[in-house]
Amino acid sequence: MPENDAHADQNWLQQLQQNDEQALAALMKKYYIPLYSYGIRFTQDEALVKDCIQEVFISLWQRRDNIATVLSLKYYLLRAVKNKVLKSLHQKAHKTAIAQWQEKYDFFQEFSVERLIIEKQVSEEKAVALRKILSQLSSRQHEVIYLKFYQRLDHGQIADLMNISRQSVYNLLHEALQKLRGLWQAEFLTK
Amino acid sequence: MKDFRLFDITDLVMDEDFARWVYEQRPEDEEAWRAWLTKNPDKHLMVAEARSILESICIAPPVITAQEIQEETTRLLQTIQEQPLPIPGKVARMKARSWYIAAAILVACIMGSLFFFTNLQMEKEPFTWEKMTASRQLIEQVNTSDKPVTIALPDGSSLALAPGSRIGYANHFDSSANRDVYLSGEAFFEVTKNPDRPFRVFANEIVTKVLGTSFTVRSFENDTTIQVIVRTGKVTVYSQAVTNTRRSATDHKPGEVILTPNQQLVYEKAGHKFQKVLLDDPLLIVSRVAEQKMEYEDASLISVFNELSKAYGISIVYDSELLEKCTVTADLKNETFYHKLDLICTAVGASYEVIDGQVVIQSNGCQ
Repeated sequence: MPENDAHADQNWLQQLQQNDEQALAALMKKYYIPLYSYGIRFTQDEALVKDCIQEVFISLWQRRDNIATVLSLKYYLLRAVKNKVLKSLHQKAHKTAIAQWQEKYDFFQEFSVERLIIEKQVSEEKAVALRKILSQLSSRQHEVIYLKFYQRLDHGQIADLMNISRQSVYNLLHEALQKLRGLWQAEFLTK
Repeated sequence: MKDFRLFDITDLVMDEDFARWVYEQRPEDEEAWRAWLTKNPDKHLMVAEARSILESICIAPPVITAQEIQEETTRLLQTIQEQPLPIPGKVARMKARSWYIAAAILVACIMGSLFFFTNLQMEKEPFTWEKMTASRQLIEQVNTSDKPVTIALPDGSSLALAPGSRIGYANHFDSSANRDVYLSGEAFFEVTKNPDRPFRVFANEIVTKVLGTSFTVRSFENDTTIQVIVRTGKVTVYSQAVTNTRRSATDHKPGEVILTPNQQLVYEKAGHKFQKVLLDDPLLIVSRVAEQKMEYEDASLISVFNELSKAYGISIVYDSELLEKCTVTADLKNETFYHKLDLICTAVGASYEVIDGQVVIQSNGCQ
């Protein structure tokens, strides 16, 4: 899929360069859910996220001539949405230091524990324990997990998006997974 | 496959291939991992645990409706249409382009032909369900479940409508000259024979026309391609641009493609291009009994190719002079189409390529 997908995106970008507005619309439809999903991790303000996504696509349209070399369009868009959202939040809050809004932000994450109980037949007891472990993860660990397992980005892309090294990505993931592992290990040993 | 034997649980959870298996549930991954587990029975526990961890990372999709996304897309298109283009070079080019279009329209007016109008409109608006069905009064059925739903049509034909798909047909379906249905999504059709009343499937810009056969049409609005797959019989596929304009003007139909069993047509919406490909696993179109006879001893290669071609309805192209002296001894029962080809080609030192839905044999001949 990833190769086909990259190929499909390349086709859309070519259409975009021929001033095809429908290609822009198609790309927005294709990526709206992952982009919106990412955007609302940083703020609860839904309208703000929607406006940011609008701006990202407007700028994609304006820069369409220089965009053909983008390797992963999804990564490019996620990055643009993150920057836009954090920037608008920063402007709203009248904070100053640029480094601050790029480094320090909250990352909200809802794991659907209910869905686990219903779809995967996980016991309620286990689900409660799981929720507890997840709530102990740091904001950065949440973001790494989210980008890796929901957005399915590779470690290099995650590192770039979060302004950290690949080793840090690995460490954050490893640590989070160790905690999760403890929960399931007990179950598998007793079986 | 990587050497997963060396992986520990965390490596496995972090591995992209492993995550793909758990999250996307593709049949090819399923097969590969089942096979790996059979070979490495000691790893069952580790894999089960890694799966549980991945499954517990269950992130809910955002709360946003298709309606909202549609509104946002409309808003975007309005904005970019209102905004003058900021890059000067770009504006100049746009102007040149509008002159070109204006000239084209002028020419079209002078010629008094509708041809160009239809074409220009064609390029601007994509085909949507609304556009396709707006002017027609249709009986509509939508499959909102997660399983295919079988629908019987008034003429005795039936179709299996895939989840998330929608079908419409006129309420005077059985009394009109053509049997027309409108599809958004995917469906497998089994059409009862009636040479006088063609059965047509309108799927976005593609029309699939048959007299009686079984085939699949896949045309989701968000997909970049439309696909038609033929299991039995023969179907004709053409672009709607052709029906609306050129088709009445001339008997030669340029955008028309004929598909035979085990062929698949892929239409790229963006490039308006047709491509014929063979299915990954072609099925026999003759009975199993005929396949049981596929055991050859010193048989002429050409006759083997002919039988194979008939059994699958796939044309096999070769140089008959070169292959005249070749003979084959092989047991081809119960093998897949491509495996049969592999066996034959290895035996006679030939190779093959699939080009435009046909198998092309390359060989230096036999002594």
